Amino acid sequence: MAFIPQYIFILFVTITVDYFAGIGFESVHGSRKKWILLASILANAGMLGFFKYFNFANENIAALANFIGWNYPIESLEIILPIGLSFHTFQSLSYTIEVYRGNQNAERHFGYLALYVLFYPQLVAGPIERPQNILHQLHTEHRFEYQRVTDGLKWMAWGMFKKVAIADRMALFVNPIYNSPTEHQGPALAFATVAFAIQIYCDFSGYSDIAFGSAQVMGIKLMKNFQHPYFAKSIPEFWRRWHISLSTWFRDYVYIPLGGSRTGARRTAINLLITFLISGLWHGANWTFVIWGGLHGLYVVLNGFVEHGWTRFRELRFAKRFTPALDGISLLTTFGLVSFAWIFFRAASVNDAFYISANLFSGWSGFISQAVSLIREGVHYGLWGFMDGTFATLNSLSVLTRSEIILSGAAFIMLVYVELKQHRGNFIAQFNTLRPAYRFVYYALLIAATLALGTAYTGVEQAFIYFQF
Amino acid sequence: MLVIALTALTIAGIFLATPPDEKHLYQASLLKSDLLRTTPSPRIILVGGSNIAFGIDSELMESELDFNVINDGLHVALGIAPLNEVQYFLRPGDIVIISLEYYNFTDLDSFFGQPQYLADWVEFSGERINFIHQPYNQMPSIYTMMLQRKVNRQLNYFLYGFSYDAGRNFYSGDLFNKHGDFIGHLGESSGTPFEIAESVYPVNLLDEAFAYLEEFNQLAQSKGAQVFYEAQAHRQANCERTGERQLNRFFNLLRTRTTIPLLTDIDELCLPDDYFYDMPYHLNEQGRRIRTERLIESLRFALEGTK
Repeated sequence: MAFIPQYIFILFVTITVDYFAGIGFESVHGSRKKWILLASILANAGMLGFFKYFNFANENIAALANFIGWNYPIESLEIILPIGLSFHTFQSLSYTIEVYRGNQNAERHFGYLALYVLFYPQLVAGPIERPQNILHQLHTEHRFEYQRVTDGLKWMAWGMFKKVAIADRMALFVNPIYNSPTEHQGPALAFATVAFAIQIYCDFSGYSDIAFGSAQVMGIKLMKNFQHPYFAKSIPEFWRRWHISLSTWFRDYVYIPLGGSRTGARRTAINLLITFLISGLWHGANWTFVIWGGLHGLYVVLNGFVEHGWTRFRELRFAKRFTPALDGISLLTTFGLVSFAWIFFRAASVNDAFYISANLFSGWSGFISQAVSLIREGVHYGLWGFMDGTFATLNSLSVLTRSEIILSGAAFIMLVYVELKQHRGNFIAQFNTLRPAYRFVYYALLIAATLALGTAYTGVEQAFIYFQF
Repeated sequence: MLVIALTALTIAGIFLATPPDEKHLYQASLLKSDLLRTTPSPRIILVGGSNIAFGIDSELMESELDFNVINDGLHVALGIAPLNEVQYFLRPGDIVIISLEYYNFTDLDSFFGQPQYLADWVEFSGERINFIHQPYNQMPSIYTMMLQRKVNRQLNYFLYGFSYDAGRNFYSGDLFNKHGDFIGHLGESSGTPFEIAESVYPVNLLDEAFAYLEEFNQLAQSKGAQVFYEAQAHRQANCERTGERQLNRFFNLLRTRTTIPLLTDIDELCLPDDYFYDMPYHLNEQGRRIRTERLIESLRFALEGTK
């Protein structure tokens, strides 16, 4: 992944093709429209396919040829993936599809279409916008509005905190373990996997918050890409809350055209699996991502089988008494399944992922007895001794110092607090009702915490995870 | 404005409440700065990374040559920042011996210094920000990293009762002698206490680095000082893995791109593996003595040539 100036040509080609395709849709009728759509899809998908999937496909064909003893002469190309290619290709495609479907008028001004595809805040990692939401906003004049601008800045500050103070900090736990998983046992692997679940959420939603806020500062309202996904109580609900712009893109342009849920249970299951497998492949040209997508597809299909029974059970008078507990079970189960799938997303190879999955439950008895003895021994020395034992237990899972563990905990508590507040209502609107003096103190603390809790001092550069897609 | 003032106040509070770590390796940089400021000329100033700190016996040099000797070597990750500091304190008659590690020539960050390490170095003496390459560009990241380190350190003081640094081991700022030589490893010369990786020396060629060294040479000469280049300490096994051709390539380029005389003959670069302590450029006591003797000999020869 890199920014190479010549790659701007790719964007230029995409925009030009889609510009003329859009105008073409409004000038022709019948099957010729389909040909134009096909040309646009081929141009867009061709770029993506070449840069992102050529080597992947080529290596797999070569491996297969080698397996059956054929001589395969085509070598992999030394190409670098243009930054944000998957995102702006999908955004551009959504324009042509929507114009083709008649949901959006063709954009006659090349500059506006270019701005729609290149809109800086969300160019490299989304949200993948729809023309109906953005194009008309780009045509509107936006005057300075204090509240809008300051609210945008608040989103940016919060997104920055999530990325710098939480995601990057979680990476300190995750990277050493995932870089050499075979050196670790179940507790450390599970710990790193949960830490990665937090890392990727804060990393990606942090970017989306920054994109949302910076667009809002300029007067453009982007769609929300995340709605507290780890509060989801089922996998379908998770996907209604996670990377919403991508999941709705796949729903509208892949799942529904395949027949959606209107073609019987078996066909629906196949449609779901196909959609999630493609979604996995969209994330990266690696079998780990395909398996990750496949796992989620499987989860959603299986959910369809158990959902009805689970809903009926919950409607029983007996079960209603335990609603909070059952909600908690649903939430934890969903989080557990999502976290398990993250193993395949994060692991460096399929082998690593299988090793981690297979060893997730190994070594727990030793860890638990060690933890119990450390903490029990510590308790004899009072609260401080208890803390000492707890730290010693946590230290056995990672190489981090106590200060790093404490700072991660502090940042995580801030995250949970704000997420809960946001989940229960419009947090920023509530926050704006506070007296200015209090608000200013909170802003100052948030900025200071972002600076102080960051991990730049480790010297490890932490790009946004989704930049690689 | 109020938000900025409050943020600044909070951060200032953390800065004021957290002094530098007194056991940090860079604590020794205060001694070295003091030596640069106060040692009378003529002097020999050895600059470089830890290959100099570990590998030079300044007392031996001082007794053999008619110069005061300052060992300004500290840590490879500081790049040429200490060299910029030396430049500030140069006086007529001074001799500067530069001995950077190959690692410094791998990329610009390694040559000009890595911000996360420079942050610690500046923490010990605020005015050092002026010795950093492109200080105004680097300031935000350096002070942010310093803040993060301070927060971690403050917490570790609270939790452990001391500033805990897992990587420190014997790399402590109070293990330097009055010349600035690291002495924490002396007396451990028998046997090999650490297993040293037989890795390749990263002999890269960085144009900006040679240009900078030549610029430094010209400036030093304009102040009446002389500059020499001494190769880093070389371990035989790592020399063999790197290859003679590669090593020669580096020094040939140094000769053609700069006018800095090279002290030690390239054929004598590589020392037996037994002379090394914990890294392929950290000499032990025996190696340190041999290297210093060779350096004294080379320097005598070079100085006679310049007379």
